[in-house]
Amino acid sequence: MSKTNKIRMRETLVSYLFLAPVLIFFIIFVLVPMGMGLLTSFFNYTMLDFTFIGIDNYVRMFKDPVFVKSLKNTLIIVVGSVPVVVAFALFVASQTYERNAFTRSFFRCVFFLPVVTGTVAVVVVWKWIYDPLSGIMNYVLNDALGIIERDIMWLGDKKYALISIIIILLTTAVGQPIILYIASMGNIDKSLVEAAEVDGANKFQVFWSIKWPSLLPTTLYIVVITTINSFQCFSLIQLLTSGGPNYSTTTLMYYLYEKAFKLSEYGYANTIGVFLAVMIGLISFIQFKLLGNDVEY
Amino acid sequence: MKKKMTPFGVFSIAILSVLTVLFVFPFYWIISGSFKSQSDAVKQPPQWWPENPTLGNYEKLLIQNPAGQWLLNSVLICLVTMLLVCLTSSLAGYVLAKKRFYGQKILFSIFIVAMALPKQVVLVPLVRIIRGMHMHDTLWAVILPLVGWPFGVFLMKQFSENIPTELLESAKIDGCSELRTFASIAFPIVKPGFAALAIFTFINTWNDYFMQLVMLTSRKNLTISLGVATLQAELSTNYGLIMAGAALAAVPIVTVFLVFQKYFTQGITMGAVKG
Amino acid sequence: MKKKVLAFVLAGTMALGLAACGNSAKQTTEPAADAPAAEEPAAEEPAAEAPAAEEPAAAGDVTEITWWAFPTFTQENANDGAGTYEQKIIDAFQAANPDIKVNLETIDFTSGPEKIVTAIEAGTVCDVLFDAPGRIIDYGKKGKLAPLDDLFTAEFAADVNNDALLQACKAGDTAYMYPISSAPFYMAFNKAMAEDAGVADLIKDGWTTDDLTTVLTALKDKGYNPGSVFCSGQGGDQGTRAFFSNLYSGSITDDAVSAYTVNDEAGVKALTYIKDAVDNGLLMNGSAYNGGDDIQNFANGQTSFTLLWSPAQPETQKALLEGSGVEFIEVTFPSEDGVAELEYLVNGFCIFDKGDEAKIAASKRFLQFICDDAEWGPKNVVRTGCYPVRQSFGNLYEGDARMTELSAWTKYYSPYYNTIDGFAEMRTYWFPMLQAVMNGDMEPKAAADDFNEKANQSIATAQAAQ
Repeated sequence: MSKTNKIRMRETLVSYLFLAPVLIFFIIFVLVPMGMGLLTSFFNYTMLDFTFIGIDNYVRMFKDPVFVKSLKNTLIIVVGSVPVVVAFALFVASQTYERNAFTRSFFRCVFFLPVVTGTVAVVVVWKWIYDPLSGIMNYVLNDALGIIERDIMWLGDKKYALISIIIILLTTAVGQPIILYIASMGNIDKSLVEAAEVDGANKFQVFWSIKWPSLLPTTLYIVVITTINSFQCFSLIQLLTSGGPNYSTTTLMYYLYEKAFKLSEYGYANTIGVFLAVMIGLISFIQFKLLGNDVEY
Repeated sequence: MKKKMTPFGVFSIAILSVLTVLFVFPFYWIISGSFKSQSDAVKQPPQWWPENPTLGNYEKLLIQNPAGQWLLNSVLICLVTMLLVCLTSSLAGYVLAKKRFYGQKILFSIFIVAMALPKQVVLVPLVRIIRGMHMHDTLWAVILPLVGWPFGVFLMKQFSENIPTELLESAKIDGCSELRTFASIAFPIVKPGFAALAIFTFINTWNDYFMQLVMLTSRKNLTISLGVATLQAELSTNYGLIMAGAALAAVPIVTVFLVFQKYFTQGITMGAVKG
Repeated sequence: MKKKVLAFVLAGTMALGLAACGNSAKQTTEPAADAPAAEEPAAEEPAAEAPAAEEPAAAGDVTEITWWAFPTFTQENANDGAGTYEQKIIDAFQAANPDIKVNLETIDFTSGPEKIVTAIEAGTVCDVLFDAPGRIIDYGKKGKLAPLDDLFTAEFAADVNNDALLQACKAGDTAYMYPISSAPFYMAFNKAMAEDAGVADLIKDGWTTDDLTTVLTALKDKGYNPGSVFCSGQGGDQGTRAFFSNLYSGSITDDAVSAYTVNDEAGVKALTYIKDAVDNGLLMNGSAYNGGDDIQNFANGQTSFTLLWSPAQPETQKALLEGSGVEFIEVTFPSEDGVAELEYLVNGFCIFDKGDEAKIAASKRFLQFICDDAEWGPKNVVRTGCYPVRQSFGNLYEGDARMTELSAWTKYYSPYYNTIDGFAEMRTYWFPMLQAVMNGDMEPKAAADDFNEKANQSIATAQAAQ
């Protein structure tokens, strides 16, 4: 054995000792369940039964109208929230990052408030706000401002249920992006901006040709995390609508939960889980490809 | 120097003000609602300010429910998770960044693949594993699976790249043991990463409702999030009381956030951008 | 700094990219995972679960059991928290049986059912559950419960003297639920509102669907909020089913309780009635409310009626009713022919079989104490706000005109279908059907057909699995 190999062996041994704590947790609580999830997705696995059924669960899944609906709802949530989060965060950040430190931190606090309030607390207060009888939403829009003609069943009407959910999701989703944008706007080279202004570039041109490129990495990061979070939208559904009305707010995550922990169809639930995992990976990959082209490495 | 107000500037101030009201309002509504009696809470038109403020909701909440215990459970879960994540990740991140060993690339790829997957999709098998360890309905059932999630490893690896290799080598020449080298040289350098990771882990764990929902059942073992969800399930539209629960869940962490705002911001920014 | 940003993004997105094309990588990890996964189902045997729940019994001979209780017992004081009364029962029981320790866990109707399923899977389910046949018989059929045949003695059967009720506690011939009390579900109106609208006289036993239309129209004209056909969550669905089936004197299942008949003529007419009434503001589209919300809206005085009322509700909602000063008129569901058919609740206990005979035996003693103890038995029945299943308890509501009158409604009891195979699955289709109809997603006929097909399929699926 050569000397370098010997050193490498020693390094390997030391490294795995350092890695051991993480690996133990990782193997037991991540790798093994992943394997189990993938494996049991090929089984009819319920409280009563555990038989191998090949890809029957997958066939069933694509034929299952509720699954298709929940996939559609999930995609609507993702498509509806991601661009809004980015645009919203970009707007707020661009309007605040140049102001004094106090104003900046004030707005950071404001928009981060729903995040630290905690998901469940936010959800229960919104349930009240949306309540058709005692909620403030109908009062303000109908009685006070007269924008709507009759009281709306925000969470019970399929026309409004999903959008009502998305609104709550947005309030909890913009906090982090705003902080990130403020930080990365602060890092933009000011001399470049000034030089461009001297050259007579208007605000839009300055933004597009100087600021935007340097914001791209942050944007990409925001897009990816917002996508992943939107895909996992669960607590809002579980606490507010149970997927109703008529499955119009059932998301993949909620459907998985319902199948597993209401109807104990564990095998089928794991099939949905495998699908969800592949889906998230695929979409993130595409986003990276689309947005990533302009990013230099 | 004072800039001139452009029409767009005025417009943006107006929009920001409206948004500020919209974002602060739910929090205000939780706090003010928690002081309203049931009949005041459902009154239309709504009381913008509690006209007959009462502490009755809090009294009921604390007498009828182990709300203090819930809060304690949440804090315990978050702190222990935070600690374990920081500890295990910094060790792993250090060697992944600074050592060359067999299987390094594969291992790192596996970590990264796993990181992208939402942990909820493995929840059903996870329940089985936790059952096998006889840990279901204990706080460990929430903590341990979160420690396995490799986000922290990834983050700490990025921070560890900053450690100058020459320093490590000179320590080796001086005869420092590996652990000693890590503790005295690597650790001080990755410390800022610690803060970032700690805050990140704390917020995520606090809000990880799904894991708590599936893993905890006994009333005394609930977290404050689950407790408030339970209150909502039990009380349906008794909004005053539910808001008292929500306030109890929100106020501590909001206070911590306001006090340590700078660190939160840094943590989040570094957690995402640095590395 | 910028470089680091890029490095991060590169790595982060690579991660996600790898996830996409990394299925092969994931599969390589699989063989390792196979072994534990394959072994798991074998651990399904109850024996493996025994030590999971709590610490083994202490050195003495004390057997520890856990009791999960839905809020079926009403509390004695409006301000008592959940479980206060239950704890009193436990204290009395433990005083008489020092060798058994009972731990109480209160659960609610919204999140409780999911909690039970999760706990069964996780091996931490309770020993004793206080619930109703709908779920209990389902657990029994799935082999999770200890049979209670030895509690169904000849003396007990003779005392109950009601075959339908006894059958409701069994899956086939095996008894899984030890019943304590029973009561009908019906509806309630806000008395002051009905009087104000001048229709209070119409709201009485034997009223018809036409009367209902008159009443609802009068209430709406006075500007009162209607009650809702609630259909969020999963609780209280029996109320909407009973309302639905009475409207045109239809039924949910055939007489033999072997198939659903929701899409027959009466059923479609009833759904059409509901849809029209919602459109005209006579009924509220309850897609945003669950049963508990609807009852509370009523008890708060926000709505003029509720479809989910029972003898126990005035006690359960005491705090709200006192706060709002709402007085109520209790009435059977209106029907086309004026003869109501009521669904009824049977409260009872089951015991989960976790492979520990000592716990099962202790649980049985606890059940008998709750249901049959000379002092606590009758007292407990009263706290459920229902009527005793044991005839020998006699009239526990002597001098209570309301309860005595309501007890006559047992004559309206309809065939009990909550023990039908696949009941739990059927319930998950009921609310979506109502939501689809009320939101105009589907025509009543199509929605009923769709529901009926899925519901009948659930019977077949459940039978095939057994």
